Amino acid sequence: MEQNHTKRQIKVTRNSLFEQGYLDEQFTQLEDLQDDANPNFVEEIVTSFFSDSTRLIRNVETALENYPLDFCKLDDYMHQFMGSSSSIGAKKVRNECTQFQEYCKARNDDGCIRAFQRVKQEHATLKRKLEAYFQVSL
Amino acid sequence: MTVEEIRGSVGYNNNNYNYNNNNEIDRFPIGMRVLAVDDDPTCLKLLDGLLRKCQYQVTTTNQARTALNMLRENRNRFDLVISDVHMPDMDGFKLLELVGLEMDLPVIKAVPKRILDLMNVEGLTRENVASHLQEQDPTIMMDGEFGYDPYSFGSLLSGNSDPKLVMKGITHGACDYLVKPVRLEELRNIWQHVIRKKVEPKPQSRSNNNQEKPNNEGGQEAGSGDPNGKFNRKRKDEDEDVEDNGDEADDSSTQKKPRVVWSIDLHRKFVAAVNQLGIEKAVPKRILDLMNVEGLTRENVASHLQKYRLYLKRISQQANMVVAFGGSKDASSYMRMSSLDGLGDFRSLSGSGRLPNAQISSYSHSGMLGRLNSATGMTLHSLTGPSLIQPTHTQNLTGSVSSVSSLNKFQPVVLPTPPNHQPANLFQGIPTSFDLGQLQQSNKPNIQLPDFNPVDESRIFNGSSTFSTLGSQSSLNLASSSSTFLDAPNFHDQLPPNGSLKYGYPASSNTVTGFGSNITSTASVPLEGQGQSQSRSQRHGQHGKQSYGQYSSNAFSTLGAAAPPPNGGGLGGPMSQSNDQICGVYNTSNWNGPNGKTNRSSTELKMESGENYLPSGTNGYDSLDDLMNGMVKREQDPTIMMDGEFGYDPYSFGSCI
Repeated sequence: MEQNHTKRQIKVTRNSLFEQGYLDEQFTQLEDLQDDANPNFVEEIVTSFFSDSTRLIRNVETALENYPLDFCKLDDYMHQFMGSSSSIGAKKVRNECTQFQEYCKARNDDGCIRAFQRVKQEHATLKRKLEAYFQVSL
Repeated sequence: MTVEEIRGSVGYNNNNYNYNNNNEIDRFPIGMRVLAVDDDPTCLKLLDGLLRKCQYQVTTTNQARTALNMLRENRNRFDLVISDVHMPDMDGFKLLELVGLEMDLPVIKAVPKRILDLMNVEGLTRENVASHLQEQDPTIMMDGEFGYDPYSFGSLLSGNSDPKLVMKGITHGACDYLVKPVRLEELRNIWQHVIRKKVEPKPQSRSNNNQEKPNNEGGQEAGSGDPNGKFNRKRKDEDEDVEDNGDEADDSSTQKKPRVVWSIDLHRKFVAAVNQLGIEKAVPKRILDLMNVEGLTRENVASHLQKYRLYLKRISQQANMVVAFGGSKDASSYMRMSSLDGLGDFRSLSGSGRLPNAQISSYSHSGMLGRLNSATGMTLHSLTGPSLIQPTHTQNLTGSVSSVSSLNKFQPVVLPTPPNHQPANLFQGIPTSFDLGQLQQSNKPNIQLPDFNPVDESRIFNGSSTFSTLGSQSSLNLASSSSTFLDAPNFHDQLPPNGSLKYGYPASSNTVTGFGSNITSTASVPLEGQGQSQSRSQRHGQHGKQSYGQYSSNAFSTLGAAAPPPNGGGLGGPMSQSNDQICGVYNTSNWNGPNGKTNRSSTELKMESGENYLPSGTNGYDSLDDLMNGMVKREQDPTIMMDGEFGYDPYSFGSCI
């Protein structure tokens, strides 16, 4: 009974992540790839994403401290970020990355900085939520 | 640098089918050996998971250099290479180029960009693209892998979908372009890029065709020097461009009109003309004038233009993964023809010229095949064995326009592989995993060619089935199985007891836009022509072109050879010569075969009515074929590239970035 309750909870938690736009169907694809041969696929790939993206974030922060801003490099970083975040279905994060890229294209210093703050925020939020999710679901 | 080799389980089952959980036949090759390259660990891990899910044998590396080394060490080690475009140590395009140049492996590039809204782009294209695939997943993104849809890039791309990138990818020899995040369905279908077909060129009496052979630079597919000049699209020979119109003495609208072979050069001229005029304003007449090619008719141009547009569309929709097919012949062993979902507009190379009866199967990427039912020239590439040719062209020999149209959609991906590469890494003849051994068993040319019955244009070549079997027995099996996945129920019936497969097009696939799949895969299938020595001196891009030519020509020639009597026994005779010709995927060459004229006329009409090129089913087909044929992978040539606007080359998929 308790188990069922937990299962339901898990489901609810998961669904809310989708409903609130944190995740998109790509995440479902990840779940589909999880099977007996790959029992922890989702968690592994998400973990890999967060560790890699943390590194990226640090790089971007450093780049944002060097003026004049190197928009090319920043754009590159975001491109990478976008690739990996879309690979796990991190919808909001990805959207913020897109925004950031727009500012890069417009060569807007302030815009970039602000956009990046949002990227970081979404990133942190998602991380928190997914960690919580994995805790109950695994 | 980490290289992980993950050996997925290679599964073959006796029937060469892969059964999924629902006990349905899964149609993709099990055990295909894929090399995945991506510096991003997350993406790499995802790719790995997806590919393993497809039951491919996966090897991953996060360094392009490593990948290159591995490939150099043994080019036959992999059947397909998927590479990210943005990598720190080496640009994906560069990798592609190197791989292509050195190994003729079709490369698929991956770039991060999700183009979901691609699916919402004009219904027409979508339809074509993914008729089959959409069954599986309505939201699937046909990354233009196979097939070239001339969408306007602008609308689809943003960021990475920059058409210029796509074009770049194509010119570099990408077979397909996928956008990240990559979907499972796309990967399931990429093998379609890898069909290579070896086509024995049929001896042609046509003088102009025959003479060309000399320039096999691109590698002639036909083993024996490509008697069919016509079919050798890739010829660099300009004269050939003129095609075939001149050859046919008795052309009449009702007769089989010699197909125009859109060789690379010819196509290049075409593209240059189109660019000059502006894609929106490019009308056949003006293009024709600009091209200034003797013997080329407005009709030819019109149909080619139609295909080209479709192609562009398709490319523009593509995402950013580039798929490269390489491989050894063994690939074919587990290649199973999976239904092609409109994804790949594979243009069969066979598009070359005119092969009145040649039904070149165009291998369409996923959707395509399914739809068209024509197996793209999957030929088994066996070292010794007969090559299976998959005529995917559903030529409307007899004027079954519908079939033609479906063919259009189905554009075999042309892999620009130099014919001289024996290891047709692409899945040679993706016959359902029948073993190569089987194929090779007899060195003798018992090539089972689907009957090319000029009259029966709706031959659907069951890619897998037809090819793989050397013996009628197996072919039968295959045929039946293939029919299953080709979604061409009708064709199943057509299989003659002797195992010859017929090509037919499933009624369902009529949209020309079959090219939809955005992934244009330029599978560089090493066509092994018999005795062809390919000197891949050219750039990879060129290879692509070459291969195209070859393929198409080969395809045609083979078909031609086979065409005559609908003999169940396959084209033992003619085919035998092309033992070793297996073409991988090749773009559909012009299918405007005998009935090209007819088809074209309708197309023509359409076109005339205002340059409204719609990938109408039947009509479109012809043009698509032409287009495909024309779309040879081109080497990087700025003049050819559509200014970032259109993808070019149906063959090389490098569509959008």
